[in-house]
This record gives sequence, C-alpha cells and structure tokens, in this order.
Amino acid sequence: MGTTGTPGTLHVTFRVGSADYAIPAALVLHLESFEVATHVPGAPVYVAGLVQVRGRVVPVVDLRKRFGLPEVPHALDHRVIVVQIGTRVAGLLVDSAREVVSLDKATFEKPPELIEAQASGFVTAVARGPKRLLLIVDVATVIGEELAHGK
Amino acid sequence: MSDRVDLQEFVGAFVAEADELVGSANSLLLEIETANAAGASRPRAVRDLFRALHTLKGLAGMIGVEPIVEIAHVLESLVRTADRAGGSLRRAAVDVCLQGVAAIGERVRAVAEHRGPAAVPPALLEAIAAALAGDERGPSPPAPIVAAWDAKLGAGERQQLGAALQDGGHAWTVTFAPGEELAARGITIATVRAALGALGDILKVLPRATPGPPAGLAFDILLVSDAAAAVIADAAATSLERVVELRLPGVVAGPAPAAASAEPLLADIPELEDDAPVTLGRSLVRVELARLDDLQEQLSLLIVSRFRLDRELAAHAAAGHDVRKLREIAALQGRQLRDLRRAILRARMVRVAEVLEPLPLLVRSLARAAQKEVRLELDARDAELDKAVADRLLPALVHLVRNAVDHAIELPEERVARGKSRTGTVRVRCAALGGTHVELAVEDDGRGIDRAAIARRAGHAIGDDRDLLAALVQPGFSTRDIATRTSGRGLGMDIVKRIATEILGGELALVTAPGVGTVFTLRVPLTISVIEVFAFECGAQAFVVPVAAVDEIIELPADLATEPPRRRGERVPVRMLDCRGHAVPLLSLGTVLAIDPGDGARKAIVTRRAGEPVAFAVDRMLGRHEVVVRPIDDPLVRVPGISGATDLGTGRPTLVLDLGALDLSGRERPN
Amino acid sequence: MKRLLIVDDSKLMRDMVAACLRPLGAVTFEFAGTGLEAIERLALAGFDLVVLDLNMPDVGGIEVVEFVRSQDRMRALPILIVTTRGDDESKARVLAAGASGFLPKPFAPAQIIAEVRRLLPVERAAT
Repeated sequence: MGTTGTPGTLHVTFRVGSADYAIPAALVLHLESFEVATHVPGAPVYVAGLVQVRGRVVPVVDLRKRFGLPEVPHALDHRVIVVQIGTRVAGLLVDSAREVVSLDKATFEKPPELIEAQASGFVTAVARGPKRLLLIVDVATVIGEELAHGK
Repeated sequence: MSDRVDLQEFVGAFVAEADELVGSANSLLLEIETANAAGASRPRAVRDLFRALHTLKGLAGMIGVEPIVEIAHVLESLVRTADRAGGSLRRAAVDVCLQGVAAIGERVRAVAEHRGPAAVPPALLEAIAAALAGDERGPSPPAPIVAAWDAKLGAGERQQLGAALQDGGHAWTVTFAPGEELAARGITIATVRAALGALGDILKVLPRATPGPPAGLAFDILLVSDAAAAVIADAAATSLERVVELRLPGVVAGPAPAAASAEPLLADIPELEDDAPVTLGRSLVRVELARLDDLQEQLSLLIVSRFRLDRELAAHAAAGHDVRKLREIAALQGRQLRDLRRAILRARMVRVAEVLEPLPLLVRSLARAAQKEVRLELDARDAELDKAVADRLLPALVHLVRNAVDHAIELPEERVARGKSRTGTVRVRCAALGGTHVELAVEDDGRGIDRAAIARRAGHAIGDDRDLLAALVQPGFSTRDIATRTSGRGLGMDIVKRIATEILGGELALVTAPGVGTVFTLRVPLTISVIEVFAFECGAQAFVVPVAAVDEIIELPADLATEPPRRRGERVPVRMLDCRGHAVPLLSLGTVLAIDPGDGARKAIVTRRAGEPVAFAVDRMLGRHEVVVRPIDDPLVRVPGISGATDLGTGRPTLVLDLGALDLSGRERPN
Repeated sequence: MKRLLIVDDSKLMRDMVAACLRPLGAVTFEFAGTGLEAIERLALAGFDLVVLDLNMPDVGGIEVVEFVRSQDRMRALPILIVTTRGDDESKARVLAAGASGFLPKPFAPAQIIAEVRRLLPVERAAT
C-alpha cells in the first residue's frame, strides 16, 4: 500500500484513457481482474454486463463508455473495482488500477468550469496526486444512483 | 370448484375403484409383512403399492376428496422412499401404511354414504412423517446386476433380479414384435404380458424401435421364470431365438440383498432416536438464518460443480469412452443432491402463522385511525414457507391488508345502512398447493372495487376481474376515487404485483363483487432459490428460462414460419408459425434482445404472454438444469424480461429470462 | 372425426378424461391401460392426439413419448401429459422428451378442454 505519511483520506487511483482518477478507498470492496462479462440486453450501453465475484452477481460499468471514450481491445491490465454505495454493489471497469494514496481533502479544488461541464457531474474535484493531477470521481453518479431513485 | 360438478357423476365409480385399490393396497401390505417376517422383501409389491396409492391420490383429487389426497400423498412419499431404497418396507412403516390405508377406506365409505369425509387427524400424518424420516436411513440400493438391463432398472427391480438369481432362478430377455396380423388374432402386448406373467415375474418391459415391418416396434421383456425356453417362447408368441437367458458375467457379489438387511439391521436403531426433522416440532433448535444461507450457498456451489461434472462426462461420452459406470454414479449423486436440497429447504421453512404475527397489531391501529370496526381472521393452519419467500411476501400482505382496512371496509354506520354487521372482517388464509406453492388470500367483506371508477380512471372499459386487476397494477395508478375519506393514498398495487410475480415468480389474482367484498390471491412458490430451467443458446450467448413458463419446445423447420405483412414500424418483426394449424406468433429472440439476427434458429420455445401462446426462436437447447437463481435487482441491469442470473458451471452469470415480460417494441435503450 | 387415445392405468381416470373431453364434439376415444398397450396401438394405427398418464407399470409415460418421437411418422403427434406429479422437474422431463403439453392432476374439465383444443390439429382446407 503506497500510503504517504501526511494525514488524509485513503483513495484508490486508476486510469481510464489518458487521465488518472481517484475514488475514496472506503467505498472499495476489492479489485478483480477482468476477462469477460455477461452481456445484459436492454441495459444502458455503458453497462459492460454482469460478473460473478466472490459468489455475488455484480453489474459492471465500463468507464470508457461512461466517459464517452473510444473502446479498446481487452487488455491484461484491465481491472474491475468493486464498490459499495449503500446496499448497492457494482463494478467499475477501468484500464488499469494504480495504487492507494492518501489525499488531504483540504487540498481538493473545484474543477475548472469547462472541465466540470464536460464531465457532467462525474468529477467532483481535482486533487494533487504524488505525480499527477487526479480527478476525483463521484461514484454514485457513475453507477447511476439517479436510476435507483429516479423512478 | 363449480368446474368439477361434471365429475360428480363419477362418485359411484370412484367409490368402486377406490374400494378396490384400498383392498389391493391392504393385501400388498400383508404380503410385504409376511415376507418381512420371513426375512425376505417384496420389491414388486412395494412398487404396486406405490402405484395403487398414486392412483388413489389422482382419482380423489379429480373428485375433490381432499382428505384422501392428503393421506395418499404422504403414504406415497413413504412408499416411494422405500422403493428407491431397494424395495423393502420396515415393519413400523408397514404398520403406519395399514393405518393410513384404513383411514382412506373410512373416507371412501363416507363418500359412498354422501357424508363429508372427516379431516385427516394430524397424529396420523405425523406418524407417517416419522416413519418416513426413519425410512430415509433405509438400506442403500444393491449393486447393479446385469449390464444389458443395468441402466433401465430401478433399485427395487435390481434387488428383485439379484435375489431371484442368487436363489438359483433364471432370468430371460424375451422379445415380442407386435403386428396387425397378431392383433387380428388377439395377440397383443397385453395378452403376451399376461401369459408371461403366469410363468414368472415380469421385471421390466422396454419398447424399442426396429427397422422395417411389421410395426417398426419390438418389446424386450425381462422375465424371471423357471419355465423352459420353449414354453416361454410359446407364451410370448415369438420364436425360440427371441428368448435369451441372461448369463451373468456381470454379477456383482454386492451386499447381501434385502433379505439380510431389511429388519435386523434397522432393529438395532432405537425407535425413539430423536433426529426427526425440525418441522415435526419434537425438539427445536434455533439457527441463525445466516447459517442456513451459508449452507444453501455451499449447496449451490456443489450444484455448480455438479454441472461441470456433467459437462466432462458428456465430453468423454462424445469422445467414445465408456462412461456408463460414471453416469450411474452421477445419477445417484444427482438424487442425493436433490435430497440434500430438500433437507436444507425443510430447515429453512418457517410457519406462515408466524409470518402473519404482525398483522393483528397493524389492523388494530389502522382500524382505530380510520374509525372502523374490523375483525382480522388468520387461517394459516400448518402451512410453511421458505424464510426468504416469507420475508419478501410480508410487505405485499401488509399492503393488501392495509388497503382492505383503509379502502374496502366501510364505516360502521354505512355497513349497518347496507344491512351488514357493524364489524367488517378481513381474513388472511394460507394453504399449501401441491408441495411446490402456497396460496395466500386476503379477503374482505367490504364494498368491493368500483369498476366504473377504475374504468374512468384508466380511460378504457373494464371487462372482467382480470382486466380490473391489470388496470389496478399499472405503475402510478391512483385510485383516489374509490378511497375513503380517511385515506387518499393510492393502492400501490403495482408493488404487490411486482412482489408476487417478478420477485417471487408467482401469480396475483383478484375477485371482487360490489357490496360483497374482494379477494386478492397470491400464489407463490414455497422457495425461490432453486428452480428447474431449460438452458438454451441464442446468438453466442447462453440463457435459461424457467420450466414453469414453458408450454412446449418445438423444432423449427425452415419453411414453417410465414411473414405476415408489416407496416413500417419499430417493432420486432413477427412471423407466423403454423402450430398444428393454429397461428402462433413467432419472434426471433436474438432480434428481440438485439444480439443476433436469428438466422441460426432451430428451436422455438412456446410460452404465454397475457394468456396467448407466443413462440421465441432460439438457436439450440442446452438441456434442463436445476439452478440457484440470484435475483438481479440493481437498477443498472433492471430490464423487463430479465429476472435473474444463475451459474451453469461456467463461472460466469447466465441470464434467467422471463419471456412473458420481454419488451418487444424493438426500441433502442437510452445511453 | 378426430381419433384420441387416452392412456391411464385407471379405468375410472380414463372415463373421466373422456367425459371431460366429450364437449369437444367430433372426436372418438380409444383407450389403453398401460404404456405398452399405448405404444402398440400407436404403432399400428394413426391417432390425432394422445392423452397420457406418466406413472404406469413397466413402461411409463416418458418412455412412450420417447418412443413416439423416435418414429418419423409420429414426430408431430400431439401428446398431452396428464399427471399427479405436477412438479417442474416432471414437467421439464416430459417437455424435454418431446411432449406437447403438461397438465397436473387434478384438473377441471375446462382446463383439459383448453389444452386439447390448443394441441389438436386444426382441420385444413382440402387441396
């Protein structure tokens, strides 16, 4: 675990396309390698499908599709980050999972307006990671919490 | 049921046939007991006894004599267990059977004398259940005996064959080929069977297709007889070379047959050993539900690895290896898994009466708030339900009871003005349905549902009660018009419907009469965890569909389906299937799911949508399975027609389809 | 006139099935008391539909279905299974074997009529 000495909140970082993202480690149940998901006809296009992890059937959100990025062939680095929000458990399919870092929330900055507008609520803040800037992802929005309460 | 009225003319015939069956059951039991005393067993008699009870149950069911159905059913289970365990019935079990058959006889007489048959004394059912629990530890099936007949014989039949051969008897395979000429001379399989039966014991008859005339058919008859081959050939109207004695290179010097193992072994086990199932209520252990869940989870893993085993077996068989022995073990293990599953399910059962416990308090407070007088009657008898079903069911029941008190039951003055008692009644009834389902009814004697008001609200005419229910369960349908002043809340019937059908895989029905009252009936499975499904392939993807939802599986000849005219539209194209002259709409499942053009479809699954048959074309069937279904309830994957996921041994989820609920509009889904 | 074969080891049950189906009108009933007889009758004559019990001595309903489906001539013959074993496992077995319908006992007359109507081939126009 690549934690630093500074006081802060643990985050898991990952990469999708050319950007690095982070989500609170408290939401993360575990990381899984990814081979194939069962296609669910009729589900939103950003749903990669269902996978079975540790005896549980979990829907997986393909973050490339969710973020409007072009598809890439399946690669060994691909990971599913299994997250839990409330009673819901879902997977996030990412290009690669990087590390666990401690981020001081006091240093989070509101993303520039143009970026925020383009990211349509998926990104809540920008944080300075050890090497690069990290986009803090709103997991609830990404896994479609509005679907859960919308109707 | 008024539908049964037609059959009442058969009561006389029923009494006669039932009397006969009771008589033969009694003499079979005596034969078994006599053999027991001599240290022998009578597998054939056990099997005949089973069939007599089975027939009694079926006939009594048709005539509507429930107490006989009930007794025959439990006796049948007891005897079936004995048959599977090698065909010997312990003395204690014989005693119980005699009691049970006597109880059936009494009720047949009651029917004959036009008296209502007495209800079944619980003590009798308990005694039978106890004997059953005891008998499940019965002797295991004896080793298989003759290779040629091996796979075809049941445990009891094997035991019988083994015993006969060990006593120095002779076994024969006799082949009889029927034909029109023979039939004209009065020689049919029935007469041959009778003639051979007079020479010995017929253990099994197997039909087999033969090339060419006379009828393209032959019967192989397994006969144990000391008669000479020529005598047998004559009796069977067949030639001598068609009577073949079974030589026994395959005799396995297995455990001594039932003769030795029946009574003496079991006599060592104290009769009062207290390991009866929890449900018998003799001794209770409280178990955390999580532990039972765990147990079931383990079982589901076992079932999954069982699929892998089957798959490997099939692969070996396809490669030309001899897998008969393995198949046999696999079949045995399959039965054991099923038994284990049943045992676990039994442990998970809760009494419905307990589930209903919160209702009296609820009704009391609702009635007080609404200033009504309401009496709640609960009648759950001994019905039981899987805890998982009970937990999901309760909200629906609460909803229905709440509606009954809030909306259906009138205010006391209004009731009196209508000539009813001041106090309204809400009844919740529960009854078991044939071992797989329970039926729960919420009845009230209130004002009934106002059809006209619902029709106005729905904006279309309402026909029968089914129409009415269909309108009520529309999501967001608000029925303020029929609500009382005390509560303006909509009924939320869509939720009740969802629980009954989508979550529990059951049914919801409604009967209502103005001024008289309303009955909502929920029919739900005892358990929701393991169901029987057909697996099939569509596109490159495997799916399963519950057997309960399938009417028929048909071959799909290339030229069978015509394409009716189609106006340009978004809907998935529908073809017309000629099904024995009936026009059945045929849809390509691949197209409906937008995963495949459906060109490779070879089979069609016929199901029903809103009561009408609909066929879905799929590529090929992959067999039937018993699977653990996990509900898919995450909003990301909540799609009409996809009701759950299961694991067929591939390690990845396979979707469980509800063909009746699939969206056929062919619309693209939102991003 | 349609020819129906009713197969059950109980005569009373056979009679009741026939009584239930009588309102169908233009049908004649023939009966078999065992699976063996049924197979023999089917091999020797043409029927339009079979109502078949599952649990019978020696040769059960499933074996009858398997035999019928193994014969080219009878591949499309509608077979309605009527049985006291109304569980899904039995239903899956008979449908997989090629039965055309499955009706648990006890049933109401209207139910079996509806099933037989569904299964009985419709008269086609002469060509």
